[in-house]
Amino acid sequence: MAKTVLIIEDDNFLQGLEATKLKKEGYNVLTASNSVEAFKAMEGNKIDLILLDLLLPDVDGFMILEKVRQNKNLQAVPVIVFSNLSEEKDVSRATKLGASEFMIKSNFTLDEISKKVKELIGQ
Amino acid sequence: MEKELQEKVDKLTKLQSVRADIVSLSAHQIRTSLSAIKWIIKMFIDGDLGKLTAEQENLMKKAYEDNDRAISVVSELLLANKAEDVIEKAYNFTEVNLIELIDSSIFDFSGEALAHKIEMIFLKPELQLPGVKADKEKLRIVLQNLLENAIKYSNQYGKVFIALREKNGFIEVSVKDMGIGISEEGKKSIFEKFYRDTTAQKKEALGSGIGLFTTKKIVEDHGGKIWFDSNEGEGTTFFFTVPVYKVS
Repeated sequence: MAKTVLIIEDDNFLQGLEATKLKKEGYNVLTASNSVEAFKAMEGNKIDLILLDLLLPDVDGFMILEKVRQNKNLQAVPVIVFSNLSEEKDVSRATKLGASEFMIKSNFTLDEISKKVKELIGQ
Repeated sequence: MEKELQEKVDKLTKLQSVRADIVSLSAHQIRTSLSAIKWIIKMFIDGDLGKLTAEQENLMKKAYEDNDRAISVVSELLLANKAEDVIEKAYNFTEVNLIELIDSSIFDFSGEALAHKIEMIFLKPELQLPGVKADKEKLRIVLQNLLENAIKYSNQYGKVFIALREKNGFIEVSVKDMGIGISEEGKKSIFEKFYRDTTAQKKEALGSGIGLFTTKKIVEDHGGKIWFDSNEGEGTTFFFTVPVYKVS
């Protein structure tokens, strides 16, 4: 059965590109543009990995990461923080909150993201 | 009079902070658009959207490189903006673990190093070193500037070595690359504000020329020294010192 990746990204265009790439690689993809959609998706589905942007319109991604790590059902789910924020304080905060990886969008291609997803949860 | 002056300083500090925030926010938005362009061009190059002719593929590769250059410029703008913002603030000296700071600075540049196919090697000392007396955020800028230059001016598959040792009440840090080196003429002016060496301009057309100026200022404000050893075409090693933290 295909693994499920939840993409939390408010830029619809980037979200679409990420989703297309991961679907093509055989993953089941769910998308959310804000925290409400994100938590709704997490409640009703078995999620294998979360790709998380940090700058969202309602709350920041750190808050979502914190909630995920506090949730018994989700705390073991790998979370890749995927953002254009790149300051050490952001990386360090995400790492402390339990991010599995921190990737800066502009430094990576979609191939590299999908490779990282595969590395963490397999196909 | 003194109160009036303080009010003006406060106002200027506030304005400086607002300016830095605006630059930072704009740069992040530009970087998001450039990321999208990068991914799309890569999809074309990889044939995800159909096979390209040789000419189309060449053009796409050129666009990809140009876009990556634009991403580097925005990253540099963010670093310069951060450096300026941090430098404006008063120094806050505490005991800093240099090994941890170097580790985290290397991590910050791991993506950049990967993109340039450069290996960063941190030669950690066998014996435990004492902490240094430093402003952590300002010292981070020193390391960032030196690591960024070492990566930027290295050739593909090059190596960057970071080492440190204790000497006469100071910790000496070295960042060595096997890159393009500094020209004889450049050696006289490399720490001047806005100066860019001819070898650097050939390798990277764009650059602000404030990195090493800022780096020297911060090192000297800590009571340390900065110098380099360089041979054109062979590489450069930058050295700097920071005083060991002493409990008063």
